[in-house]
Amino acid sequence: MSERILSISDLTITRAGLPRPELENVSLTLDAGETLLLLGESGSGIPSLMRAVMGAGQSGERVSGQIQFAQSTPGVKVRHGESALRIAYLPDAHSEVLSPHASVLSQLVRILARKLDLPRATASEELRLTLARLEGAPPLDAFRAGTVEAMALSWGFLALAIAQTPDLIVADHPLPDSSPIGSRKFTAALVAEQKRLGFALLYSARRTLVTTWLEGRIAILRNGRIVEEGTVGRLSSAQAHAYTQQLYKSLPMVTPQVPLPRRGSRGEPVLQVRGLELSPPQKNVYRARETVTFDLRRGASLAWLGEENSGRNELLRMVLGQQEPAGGRVIFDSVDVGILSQAMTARLRRRVVFIAGDDNVLDPRMNVRDTVEEPLRAHLNLSRDLVAGHCEAALKRVGLASLAPERAVAALSRFDKRRLQVARAIVTVPLLAVIDEPQRGLGPLESAVMLDLLRELRAQEGPAFLLLTANFALALALADEAMVFKDRSIVERGPVGEMLKAPKDDYTKALIAAITPVLPSGLPKAQSQG
Amino acid sequence: MSAHANPSPRTAPALRAVIRAIGLIGLGGIAIAVGLADVIARAPVDAIGVGPSLAPPSQAFPFGTDLLGRDMFSETLHALAITLGDAIVGALVAVALGGIFGFVAARLPWRIGDGLRVVAGILAAVPALLLAILFVGLTARGFAPVAAGLAAAPFAFARAFDRARLLGASHYAQYARASGIRSATLLRRDLAYEVRDNFLSTVTRALAAVAITLATLSFFGFGAVPPARDLGLLIASARAGFLDAWWTAACPAFTLMLLILCARLAAGLDEGERP
Repeated sequence: MSERILSISDLTITRAGLPRPELENVSLTLDAGETLLLLGESGSGIPSLMRAVMGAGQSGERVSGQIQFAQSTPGVKVRHGESALRIAYLPDAHSEVLSPHASVLSQLVRILARKLDLPRATASEELRLTLARLEGAPPLDAFRAGTVEAMALSWGFLALAIAQTPDLIVADHPLPDSSPIGSRKFTAALVAEQKRLGFALLYSARRTLVTTWLEGRIAILRNGRIVEEGTVGRLSSAQAHAYTQQLYKSLPMVTPQVPLPRRGSRGEPVLQVRGLELSPPQKNVYRARETVTFDLRRGASLAWLGEENSGRNELLRMVLGQQEPAGGRVIFDSVDVGILSQAMTARLRRRVVFIAGDDNVLDPRMNVRDTVEEPLRAHLNLSRDLVAGHCEAALKRVGLASLAPERAVAALSRFDKRRLQVARAIVTVPLLAVIDEPQRGLGPLESAVMLDLLRELRAQEGPAFLLLTANFALALALADEAMVFKDRSIVERGPVGEMLKAPKDDYTKALIAAITPVLPSGLPKAQSQG
Repeated sequence: MSAHANPSPRTAPALRAVIRAIGLIGLGGIAIAVGLADVIARAPVDAIGVGPSLAPPSQAFPFGTDLLGRDMFSETLHALAITLGDAIVGALVAVALGGIFGFVAARLPWRIGDGLRVVAGILAAVPALLLAILFVGLTARGFAPVAAGLAAAPFAFARAFDRARLLGASHYAQYARASGIRSATLLRRDLAYEVRDNFLSTVTRALAAVAITLATLSFFGFGAVPPARDLGLLIASARAGFLDAWWTAACPAFTLMLLILCARLAAGLDEGERP
């Protein structure tokens, strides 16, 4: 029988001022070498559970129940020092756990040196060897730079955890949404290291898809309670609880039987790009600049598929006039933007909207009403009543009608901010909607709602969609055609459906593989429930 | 995503709010005292022979008396009213000319805006007291409040300019411009939110800076015009007998210090227009 690593019984966490407990009578066990996945939306209580396990409760929280690590004294106040277990933490790559005042590498090395009681030079070498062993991880030198991308940071945390040869890894949704290929490689490396070292893994997942890449048990949490628990294999094929069924419905349906999406509309071109030049990936390496030419017609939808730094964002900045192109032209609504004055360009862009996963499109100081009404007030001479009517209708459509109109944007949840962006887009009746990773950071159900809202926006307001994403499933759901970006060049372009059926480039294949759930039949042997 | 995020502010928001509240309460108390000066003070302005000459602080004369038997408590209160009134005028001049103009200048075409920023930087490099003396010399002593405000304006300008440039380069401003929102609309929006969120702290910061400059101007004889005496002039008049009668200088100096401290606390202990 495997050794019990973690035992949680009747854990309840309440916080003053909240109508219900954040966590209510949760009991879980985790054995050596086993994986326990936690899946749920915001409000599920998973963050509170993870904090309790890591012994990092917040002030104002009242905790009851027991958390016991192997051979330690049971208690609600976790003191990892009491246990002989080596526990490593994989934090959210978007969280700011590292200081901005020192290099990432020096901080990783310092943490490892302190954990293993090693000289820093030895810890650095240990980290280098671990990174080299992890397939797909960047080399140690990648962490010397002043800033590090989220995916690279995830690899750094993984190497830090693995180098400690832990008995337990606590992973708090460690994968960024923006890098599906990297995420897939990351989970594969994590599984491989788990098999090699035999550590137990407590993994909090934000996306249902990720759970299909890992082996073990899943606990589905909702409103602070466990609603269903079972093996990955069982839950992937048959879910008993209605909520679990909803979560699994949000899995991307990437099968060859998916009907081909409709081809681009034959309307007038709304955006024409002629020979825009992308800069090469590295300054010191000579390569001919990639020139981009395409037409986006009214009502059509084009996806720019690629991960961060693939060149898609640079191209967008040039199209929007935020970056001077080395060569080429941008024609918006049959007018060459390059020859217009600033005032004329502003008039032309009145019917362009942005919906971005970073939520930085919204001014955090504005309130809900002003955010939605601003395009109407700025561009149209409408009466106050008419503006308020449009605003109310748009907020109703996105399900935000119950929000206080005076509430500041900064105080809204991520999901509310995202829906607010759609509401602002609705009142604009746009010709072109630029949509950048609209599901970033959202839970499974929130992502599904967001997808529906975007589909409805396209159906009712009829804008052309320019979708920037690394998620092939999203492109499949929203776009007719796609251009695949890699290393600042376009490696493939064409209808998304045809691309799915017969991808030509290896990178496209990897993007498709990265969003493909591992179905129960393809699963390796599921572990028993301990 | 970068691993390097903005560093957290030096003071935690909750502590900062407490500090500001203490400062505002203090300023409120000073304003009430000034408003009721004629009621609280036991002697009118410049009333000679109210008490014995150079009497130390006592129950009858909390701040003591000066050489001419004037009640120092009453004199300090009347001087505080003058200093506070002048400092408010100067602070408003600094905020209007420096703050608002700096905000607008940041949105002017780059070369013009940058040129103005350089000029403001050069003026800010000159000690504010010398600038104020220069402005007084070019006008008259009666314009000392305006001169002190003008001397603090370059700091307010530079601060507002940098803040406006930061806001103008923010993602949401870029997206707004890219969706056709005019620069004038963005400027109006930024100004409205700055006034809502930061006006009080900007004014109190300027108030502290202007109060120091005004008191120093008067101390050197470039400020308040007798017979009106502000705190600087009151301290200056105590120079001769300070070693024998410490209270004649210390009490007005302490009052001035209290005013500046409250203003700085109300600004969240934020450095800015310090001369």
